[in-house]
Amino acid sequence: MKTLKIKIVFILLTISIIGLFYVIYLYNKPFIDIENTKAKIEATAQKIINDFQADEHLANKIYVDNLILVKGEIANISFNNGISTITLRDSKGLTSIICQMLPEANLNVLKLKKNDQIIIKGVCTGYLLDIIMVRCILTNDNFDEK
Amino acid sequence: MKNKFLIFVLFLMSVQSFSQEKYLTKEGFVSFFSHTLVEDIKADNFQVLSVIDKKTGEIEIQLLMKSFMFKKALMQEHFNESYIESHKYPKATFKGFIANFNELESTNTTVEIIGILSVHGKEKEIKTTAKLLILKDQINISGNFMADVADFDINIPTVVINNIAKTIKVSFDLQHKPYK
Repeated sequence: MKTLKIKIVFILLTISIIGLFYVIYLYNKPFIDIENTKAKIEATAQKIINDFQADEHLANKIYVDNLILVKGEIANISFNNGISTITLRDSKGLTSIICQMLPEANLNVLKLKKNDQIIIKGVCTGYLLDIIMVRCILTNDNFDEK
Repeated sequence: MKNKFLIFVLFLMSVQSFSQEKYLTKEGFVSFFSHTLVEDIKADNFQVLSVIDKKTGEIEIQLLMKSFMFKKALMQEHFNESYIESHKYPKATFKGFIANFNELESTNTTVEIIGILSVHGKEKEIKTTAKLLILKDQINISGNFMADVADFDINIPTVVINNIAKTIKVSFDLQHKPYK
C-alpha cells in the first residue's frame, strides 16, 4: 500500500515537473529563425505589389504570416530609433514594399544604396498604402524567378 | 477594396495638384504598454501610416495589428490569434482632427486631438492631448492616452486575466513629411 502511494506521488511529481518545463518552454518560445528557415514563397517585389493591388483579400491569404523571399530594387533606406527600413520600389505606381529590418541586419544595410537590386527575407504582415514586411534580413539565398 | 484604394490614390493626387497640404508618414511609431503585478507587456509598431492635412488639421492613421512586435513570440501569437483576432480585423484606424487647429498660437504646442479609434471591429471616441511641432517641411505629433480593453470587445481568458491590464497605455510618435 505504502509503495503504491509513493509510486503515485512520484508519477504525479514527474508529470508536474514535465508540465512546468513545457509551460516555461512555451512561454520562452523563440521567434521564427528567419536566417535558417526556408522561405515559403519567392517572388519579385512587382509580383507581390500586383497581387495586393488586384485582390487584397486573396493576397492576404497567400502572403500574410508567411516567410517570403522578395527580390527588388531599393527606392529608399531609412534609420529611425535604431530600426532600419528598406523600401522596395514599384516600377510604376505609388505602392511599394516597406521592409522593417531586424537589428542584426543593420550593418549590412549600411552598405546598400538606392537602386541596388537586393533579396530580402522576412514576414509579410499585410497591406496599408504599401505592403508591409517585418523581421527582414538581407540574404544570399538562391532566388528562382518563376 | 480596389475601389477604395483608387479613391484614396485619387484623393492624394487631387490634393497634390492643389499644393503641398498633405503631410504623410509611412514609418510612424505606435506602441502599447500593459502593466500588471504579474508582468509588463509592451509591443512596438514602426510601420504606421498617418496622413495629416496642414490646412484643416484632420488626421488619419492606419496600422496593421500584425506589425506589432513583442518581446516574446508567445505573447505576439496570443495577441494576434486569440485577443485581437488579426485574421478577422487586420487593421486599426484612427480618424480625427486637431482641435482649434487654425487658431494655434505657436508651432510648438500642446493640442487636443479628438477622433474615432477603431480596433477589433469596435469604435470608440478618443480625446487626448498631444505635442504638436510644425516645422517648414515636417509636422510631428506625439503623445499617449489610455484605452480600456473592455471598450473593444476583446476576450481575455480567465487564466491570464491577471497578466493583462484593464487599461492599456497607447503611445504615438508620428513624424510627417510633405506628400510628394
